[in-house]
Amino acid sequence: MAFVSLNITAYAVEATEYPDLARKYHVSGVPKTVVSGDDGEIEILGALPQDAYIEQALSALSPTALHEDTKATK
Amino acid sequence: MALISQADQDKLREAFNEMTSPVRLLFFTQTLDCETCLQTRQILDELPPLSDKISIEEVNLVLESDKARRYAIDRVPAIALVSGEKDSRIRFLGTPAGYEFVSLIQAILLVGGRPSGMTEENRKRLAAVDKPLTMQVFTTPT
Repeated sequence: MAFVSLNITAYAVEATEYPDLARKYHVSGVPKTVVSGDDGEIEILGALPQDAYIEQALSALSPTALHEDTKATK
Repeated sequence: MALISQADQDKLREAFNEMTSPVRLLFFTQTLDCETCLQTRQILDELPPLSDKISIEEVNLVLESDKARRYAIDRVPAIALVSGEKDSRIRFLGTPAGYEFVSLIQAILLVGGRPSGMTEENRKRLAAVDKPLTMQVFTTPT
């Protein structure tokens, strides 16, 4: 996703080596994705199919953070 | 001694053959207080001999803090994947061992030009994002 969008940065975090981050985001199982956007933070637990995963990740953004043409398809 | 078995080296060499662009791994490290930096360096050092498209550049978090800030890295060990001057914005925090190693290889192949398997529709949706979005995927080596 980061590779496609200039505005997305993706971190793969090794939870046991960074217990402070794991604690901060209450990681109790993996994989767990924490997405931070202008509309807050959302969590995705486990692995999801591509469409659902992207749909959830983008919900951390306010509607204005997406171009008009994209909003029209929602 | 090599950390990667001969059979796996052969498989990786073949996979890396598909790469069309060079990939530079920026390895963020520091001399003191980093238990897993050496292990990470050892793992990374195994990759360039398998492909002339892969290179490693060591960045000292303390001595080159400007560069670390530019890549939004504030802890070690960490890896940022870059192709030419283009930052992929893909980062790995912690040692890329176990499943993380597999993820690192997939990321190298992606940045190196292998098709991602993402649908055209999703590609368009993501390209339309015009505010910063940070994704942190927590994993463990097992």
